[in-house]
Amino acid sequence: MIRRHILKFALAAAMLGGLAAPAVAEYPEKPVTLVIPLGAGGSHDLNARVISSIIPAYLNQAMIVRLTPGAGGQKGTQEAATAPADGYTLLFSHNYIDMLQQHVENLPYDPNKDFVPVARVNYAPIGIVVRGDSPFKTFEDVVRHAEENPGALKMAHSGNWGALFVPAAQIMKARGITFNMIPYKGGGPAMQALLKGEADITMGFPATLSSLLDSGEVRLLATAGNETMVEGVPTFPEIGVDGDVGFMHRVVLAPADTPPEVLETLRTAFKALQEDKTYTRLMGRLGENRDFLDGPDYQKMREAQALEYKALVDQITSN
Amino acid sequence: MIDQFATGFFMAFRLDTFFMMGVGLFFGMLVGSLPGFTTLMAMAILLPVSFFLDPIVGIPFLLGIYKGGIFGGSVPAILVSMPGTGAAVATTADGHALTKKGKSRKALDIALFSSLFGDFTSDILTIMMIFPIALLVMQFGPPELAAILFLSLIVIAMTAGSNPVKSLMMMTAGLWLSFVGTDPLGGVERFTFGSFELRGGIPLLPMLIGLFALPEIAAVVGRRVDIAQTAKIVGERLHLAELKRCMRTILRSTAIGTAIGIVPGLGQVVAAMLGYTAAKNASDHPETFGKGEIEGVAAAEAANNAVNGPTLVPLLTLGIPGDNVTAILLGAFVAQGLRPGPQLFEEQGAVVFAILTAMVFANILFLIIGYLSIPFFARIVTIKNSLLIPAVIMFAFAGSFVFRSDPVDLLMLIGFGAFGIIARIARFEVMPMVMGFILGGPLEYAFGQTMAMSNGDLIGFAISQRPSMLAILIITPLIGFYLWRRMANMSRVSNAH
Repeated sequence: MIRRHILKFALAAAMLGGLAAPAVAEYPEKPVTLVIPLGAGGSHDLNARVISSIIPAYLNQAMIVRLTPGAGGQKGTQEAATAPADGYTLLFSHNYIDMLQQHVENLPYDPNKDFVPVARVNYAPIGIVVRGDSPFKTFEDVVRHAEENPGALKMAHSGNWGALFVPAAQIMKARGITFNMIPYKGGGPAMQALLKGEADITMGFPATLSSLLDSGEVRLLATAGNETMVEGVPTFPEIGVDGDVGFMHRVVLAPADTPPEVLETLRTAFKALQEDKTYTRLMGRLGENRDFLDGPDYQKMREAQALEYKALVDQITSN
Repeated sequence: MIDQFATGFFMAFRLDTFFMMGVGLFFGMLVGSLPGFTTLMAMAILLPVSFFLDPIVGIPFLLGIYKGGIFGGSVPAILVSMPGTGAAVATTADGHALTKKGKSRKALDIALFSSLFGDFTSDILTIMMIFPIALLVMQFGPPELAAILFLSLIVIAMTAGSNPVKSLMMMTAGLWLSFVGTDPLGGVERFTFGSFELRGGIPLLPMLIGLFALPEIAAVVGRRVDIAQTAKIVGERLHLAELKRCMRTILRSTAIGTAIGIVPGLGQVVAAMLGYTAAKNASDHPETFGKGEIEGVAAAEAANNAVNGPTLVPLLTLGIPGDNVTAILLGAFVAQGLRPGPQLFEEQGAVVFAILTAMVFANILFLIIGYLSIPFFARIVTIKNSLLIPAVIMFAFAGSFVFRSDPVDLLMLIGFGAFGIIARIARFEVMPMVMGFILGGPLEYAFGQTMAMSNGDLIGFAISQRPSMLAILIITPLIGFYLWRRMANMSRVSNAH
């Protein structure tokens, strides 16, 4: 497998060498740094490890993953925002850090003006999860209980305005209920809390929960998206939650002034990844889809997200 | 189950498994001994290597980096008083004092042996009792964690230093420093004075290096040439008699470390400190601790390594990582098509047991690798001062910088260095401050979670639902008072001599 990549790499390099030497140095002529504003071992880290071990075959340069966690993702985002817009520093982020934080905090950068999307690599649809022995068989049971006892049900999430908190807040808004939101340091500890009985309900990515779902330790009550993900489990629209809710979009961003030809090279490389067999296999094992979206298409979604999140934040913080 | 275990046991004996594990151990030790480079980063960077290897080769490779890295952290702590992680802080006290007495080789030997004993024993216990431990893990949540962290702080304040009042003052300062930055629960900025640099909080590494390493350098440069002379001697290896003397301490620390590993979120720092203070308390000569007592090194190192086994339990039995290291291991398992969780043992039992067997044998392999490489590490201190001191200063600054690549951290390093030098002159020990800082964050977080869980009625919640939290909180002042009396008596006795 590795050998094939080396071959590909050598072939690509030979082809490049065979072309007439361009007057301007061709991008990329040195390794590209991918800044992740999150910690080691998370799903962004794992995705980036897969990407960075395969993309050199298409980019003809190495990709270095740099983890810069801190201040809820602001530290790494700030680093990428102030980096030169030459395509050698990219940001691997998600929609909540990218588009929601601006409504909650005073950011030292402007996500709308400072970044353009290179590509959405994939997205992770979330699900509502309860323990296997929970009295809640359907989401309507949860709603009924929450309506009778507002704020009594404990919802474990992975941090304020994070990937579990936001969809939970959107569901609360759509159905007019309130949970007692309890923060944990990441999705793993939040799921542990559910299993321990500390929390009554949590959110989780079904693709990474297959083992717990198969063994009956946890039960899915609903999943994000319009299409049924698991037989017999309703989708968010079916439980009355519409819109772009519960998708964590993993997105590669570049500083806004990056030259168009550089962006084009990057987009082509990311697109080419989607056809790579090793990439497909490893992403499949991580439980990730390969629902690739090109930068310009994702930009439209970003703009819609900014409005949607503003309304959500305004409603929650006004209470 | 038994036959899967037997199959797995023999599957682990592969030349390539042991080779890659050895590579991982050596590399981990190297990375761990360079301040600023964390074991976690090394594992994250080398994770893709495991994607393309057989599971019984790739995962032991990562485990090797992990184990090597934790020991590696004690090398600069012992030799140049530069702990690269919180877990090595407790080792610094006696480890570096031994180096100054010209016994650096002995200090590294005891650190290696106690680390491996702690690790080996807790690994075996974990494999034997994986399902009982899994049940036990489920009993601890944020309320218990908060209570245990609070108790640990009290124990450390009373026993770690020589004067509990001074220790408490330093610990309070450390707790306050841990509050700087964005509040982890509510997102409110605290004590940042509007500066973006402080929003992410104060970084640990510049604090550790500044407080522990810079004052040592200042002392050597300043005047104590005589001490620096003895420190130039590597000294003898560890004698068997000395190892026997430490055995009781090593066993106690292993038990403490394993127990702490079971409580999610406590971790190596608490284990090392409690192992250390317990050894000091049980000793007939506690006054020798902090002045070059090999039992002190043994206590800290056995305890922080014994944590490793139990932390793997939630990963293997539920498929849920409890921290960053286990999250990376989860990635390695998943990329191999092994999804940890309830069915893993049924479906892939042999492979899992093979990996666990390799993990146990990694300790023996590391004993050999470590024992052979210690003489080379120990010789670092024999370098001329005119070369060693600039090199240490360079590593202090480089290590503080590479951790986050933020120039502000260099200012922090200098600030903490100056504070450390002043504290030393005023005879304040910095250890309680560092512990207050490291444990302050988790304590606050766990307390905040507990408050959220209790819906504001903390006492009612504790009585009705969390009796073990209540019990720990009730015994905390009693333990604190007992330790205070005991330490007071001891210092009276030692003053009378």
